Amino acid sequence: MIYQVTHRTTFDYTQPVAISHHVLRLVFRNHPRQHSLRSSLTIDPSPSVRSDGKDYFGNPLTHLTIETPHAALVVETQTTVDVEKPEPIHLDQSLPWDQMTDQLQGATDDEMLDAQQFLYDSPYVTIDDDTYDFVLECFPPGRPILAGIMDLTSRIYRDFTYEGGVTDVSTPVKDVLMTRKGVCQDFAHLAIAALRSLGLPARYISGYLLTHPPEGQEKLVGADASHAWLSAWCPSLGWIDFDPTNNCIPSDEHITLAWGRDYGDVSPINGFMIGGGLHTPTVSVDVSPVSLPSII
Amino acid sequence: MDSLMPSFASESPDSSILAPMNYPPQPDTFDELIGQDGSVRTHWQGFLKGFSALDDTDRQAARETAERLLKDDGVTYLAGQDGQQSDRPWQLDLLPLLISQEEWTQLEAGLIQRARLLNHILSDLYGPQQLLKNGTLPPAVVFGNPQFLQPCHNVPVQGGTYLHFLAFDVARAPDGQWWVLRDRTEAPTGAGFALENRIIASRALPDLFDETGVQRLSSFFQTFSHNFLEFSQRDDPLAVVLSPGPQNVGYFEHAYLSRYLGYPVVEGSDMTVRDDRLFLKTVDGLKPVDLVLRRLYSDLCDPLELSTESALGIPGLLQSIRAGHVTMGNALGSGLVDSEVLLSFLPTLSQFFFSEGLKIPSVATWWCGQAQERAYVLENMKRLMIRQVLTPQRNLSQRRLSSFGPDLTARDEQELRQAIIRRGHEYVGREIVSPSTTPFWGGGDQLRPVPMTLRLYLTATKDGYTVMPGGLARVSVQSDPRGHWHEPGDFSKDTWVKSGPFDHQPVVAPAHHTLALRRGGRDLPSRTADNLFWLGRYIERAEAAIRLLRSLFLRTSGEAGLSDEPETLSRLVSLLVMQKHLSPRRAKRAVKGGADMVEAELRTILFDPDSPDGLATILQNVRRTAELVRHRLSQDTWNILIELTSVPKDWARTKGQRMDDALRLLSRMIQHLAAVNGMVMENMTRSYAWRFLEMGRRLERVRHLSKLIRHLASRGTPEETGALNLLLELADSSITYRTRYRAEAKLAAVLDLLLADETNPRSMIFQLHTFETHMNDLPHEETAASLNPAQKIITRVCTDIRLTDMIQMAELAKDSKVRASLVRLLKEIDQGVYQLSEIVAQTYFSHSLAQRISGPQWLEGIP
Repeated sequence: MIYQVTHRTTFDYTQPVAISHHVLRLVFRNHPRQHSLRSSLTIDPSPSVRSDGKDYFGNPLTHLTIETPHAALVVETQTTVDVEKPEPIHLDQSLPWDQMTDQLQGATDDEMLDAQQFLYDSPYVTIDDDTYDFVLECFPPGRPILAGIMDLTSRIYRDFTYEGGVTDVSTPVKDVLMTRKGVCQDFAHLAIAALRSLGLPARYISGYLLTHPPEGQEKLVGADASHAWLSAWCPSLGWIDFDPTNNCIPSDEHITLAWGRDYGDVSPINGFMIGGGLHTPTVSVDVSPVSLPSII
Repeated sequence: MDSLMPSFASESPDSSILAPMNYPPQPDTFDELIGQDGSVRTHWQGFLKGFSALDDTDRQAARETAERLLKDDGVTYLAGQDGQQSDRPWQLDLLPLLISQEEWTQLEAGLIQRARLLNHILSDLYGPQQLLKNGTLPPAVVFGNPQFLQPCHNVPVQGGTYLHFLAFDVARAPDGQWWVLRDRTEAPTGAGFALENRIIASRALPDLFDETGVQRLSSFFQTFSHNFLEFSQRDDPLAVVLSPGPQNVGYFEHAYLSRYLGYPVVEGSDMTVRDDRLFLKTVDGLKPVDLVLRRLYSDLCDPLELSTESALGIPGLLQSIRAGHVTMGNALGSGLVDSEVLLSFLPTLSQFFFSEGLKIPSVATWWCGQAQERAYVLENMKRLMIRQVLTPQRNLSQRRLSSFGPDLTARDEQELRQAIIRRGHEYVGREIVSPSTTPFWGGGDQLRPVPMTLRLYLTATKDGYTVMPGGLARVSVQSDPRGHWHEPGDFSKDTWVKSGPFDHQPVVAPAHHTLALRRGGRDLPSRTADNLFWLGRYIERAEAAIRLLRSLFLRTSGEAGLSDEPETLSRLVSLLVMQKHLSPRRAKRAVKGGADMVEAELRTILFDPDSPDGLATILQNVRRTAELVRHRLSQDTWNILIELTSVPKDWARTKGQRMDDALRLLSRMIQHLAAVNGMVMENMTRSYAWRFLEMGRRLERVRHLSKLIRHLASRGTPEETGALNLLLELADSSITYRTRYRAEAKLAAVLDLLLADETNPRSMIFQLHTFETHMNDLPHEETAASLNPAQKIITRVCTDIRLTDMIQMAELAKDSKVRASLVRLLKEIDQGVYQLSEIVAQTYFSHSLAQRISGPQWLEGIP
């Protein structure tokens, strides 16, 4: 499936900004099922210093400094990306979850070392006894890892209420567990904390989702949004995505932007400024499937 | 008598201080002073002989010297917490710890090996991570450690030196072997205190110090600075001490190191990153910074890429490090090898890197991230100290970190057991240490053995590391030395490492950086300028308050005694209200109560250290701002300021509340102030720093003079009520007036002298001119021929003063109670002062804090 994704963020400041520094993670990363065909990142006003590189987790990263006084900042990415469907997954044919720790013990190959970066507490994902007790119900002894994770995914979908505005990026996992309310990133953080408490590697994915307008209505341009889900690692199968917000295993309608231990590692725009007063960011995202001929 | 212990039980009764019965070494413990056979260890003998020869007077003198030095230097450990001023005096036991040269040589070799090892480990983990790929270290040690900062991976580090300045906490086991308890690699504290201890101990016991033959500390700091500066490519590099600020517990030491090394102490908001270069904001614009001695936790240093919550860092710092423009000491992320998790791996790592064993072992530690070790800890919990490691540094205070096995209740043990089973990698079990004991004196008649640990410091050199020949010994006087000991000590000691006959090391002169002659101190950080400006204002404010109080006290007693005449009373009281010493309500009550009541209020203002409106508060402001700019003041100026600000505190203790006491107290403070003025005028170089201090003083003096004139001369007939004499006295212009007019004070003449007389150094116009001269000498943007805003204000105000007809202004119009033209002129002056203060702040004090630009607060997922 090929998409055209437009992501535009506008900051309007009440006072001019004298100087600002930003770190952007808005350029799509590639992975075996996903390739960017064309991508552009435009910044207005144009920065005096800009450098593009990759962060520790391999996500494309842009540093910039804007030294011209400005009252608004617009950052826009336009990406044409090709996403393939994953191979069919047989949940019951994965390793029993309680053998994972032994598998990882003493492992030194690149893949297993990499997986272990996503096994511990991280700034936004704190593991405690409550998450452990919560997840244990989905993982009776000997249960195949993926079956357990799918069960956890469904359980979050079923027992938690999707509600915007009650949480923010810094809401701790234990609060989400208690109130049973939140948005996609809270559910992803919770599932990640739960899996890590069992010794299962899990990472946070930020990206986009193709939305379908209600039957008979036209899709509104710019009404899509960023999305977040998780990925879990399983020996011999590698990383498998799960989306607790939509109770599914992501296929070719989920487009990956970046991954990390939690939201903090992939936050799309970080910035500091001198001056500026108050500000309000406005975000508009548009995900549209394109037919192949139009881009050739 | 055994010749090996000449100082024991000698003839003099004074030496009973050292009688063995009074110094019982503990069984199964190594004692630093007394050997196994009960004799004094060789390296203590000379010292002990000298020490026991001190009589009561000598000891008393030593104690007093130490107390005075501690006070003079304002040594405090805890600066204000939560805005509260709760400084705790530094506790020093004058009797040093002695270490023999042979033993020191061994310790040195072991610590240097360890420092090199830790540097190698950092270099690998922030680079190729071979140690993980070849299985030498389990990944949890790195990936589970919050002090592994991912953004710092592959950040270039000048010369591969991650650790420029580090410390080790060591203790001695019962068999005499030294053990390392902790590695301190982030931003180790205490080196400044070690230096201060040395200065005090060597001055309090000068003869003993000289006779003992002690290795000097100062060359260590020179070695550090020399090597650190070498890391910059530039010829004349700028190095700074990055501190979290005066609210931090360690600020005293940050400022101390800054003075000693000659690097300015700065906060994050004093710096900015432009074009991937780090700059210091100075009154002369941005100056590139080459080297940062970091006293701030790594993850707080760059809110853009590290902890985004930090308001203490510099956005963009990491990028400037990547660009190779700035060297951090220690490198960001160095805390990774601070972790106790590493301790049990160090012998293997030492083999791996050096093909040799560790020269100094670590305290026995079992990391529960490994099955076997976990099983051992669970089995032996009651005999171990269980420590939670792998917790972010900045969260340390929020969690209970250490559990002492023998003290665990059954329930705690159960909980801990559970936690270790679930999250073993976060815990270590550590052997309970019973460290060696060393004599504690405490200034009394007796020595007693107390448990001790020692913090030793190292600095990177071109080809390895150098150890500071000395260190911070810490003893615990409260705990029973036989009991278990697990907290850092409450007293510190100087550590004397004995020197050999050939130990004289010449001071190495920097080779690479040639000395560039400089004048004028151009790198004045704008925050320091701000503080100097306010120090000037506060000193002047204090002087005004003290003069006022003295004049009022004089009028309450003796020949000029205060009558109950209501007008005089209310005028005095209104001045107190003007100076904010009294609220209008209390003032009204005091006037009603008559002379006695007014006197009582005066005494509270003067003597009550807790009265928020009293003199103590004004002096506290002087003290606080002086501390912030101490590195810009000479030691003598500082000493006088400390004397000045502690006068009321000292007097409050004596409860001397007689009138005469009050007057003597006030006169003494005026003398101190005169001394400060003398120091500032005669001894401070005419740098920007001096100009800001002066500008603050001048503006404050104008402000105060304007208030005095309004209160004492704008109404009624001040000639008759004595107000005019009081005004002249408060403006310190009585003598000038008398020599000039040789007559009773007349209002018009007084106004001329105080407002317009350019030759009177106390006049309004004199202050404004002086202010202008300073302002003109500060760096400013070259503009056209026209006056700049500050010059315009000063010119306008001065012209208006000059154009005023004083005789006319002194007259009181019929049916009018107020001299309206005078009030108008004073108002214009006040406004001018306010505007000038604003202009100075806007032009030179630009340490505004960068604020975070938050993106969308939550993601709008699609349910």
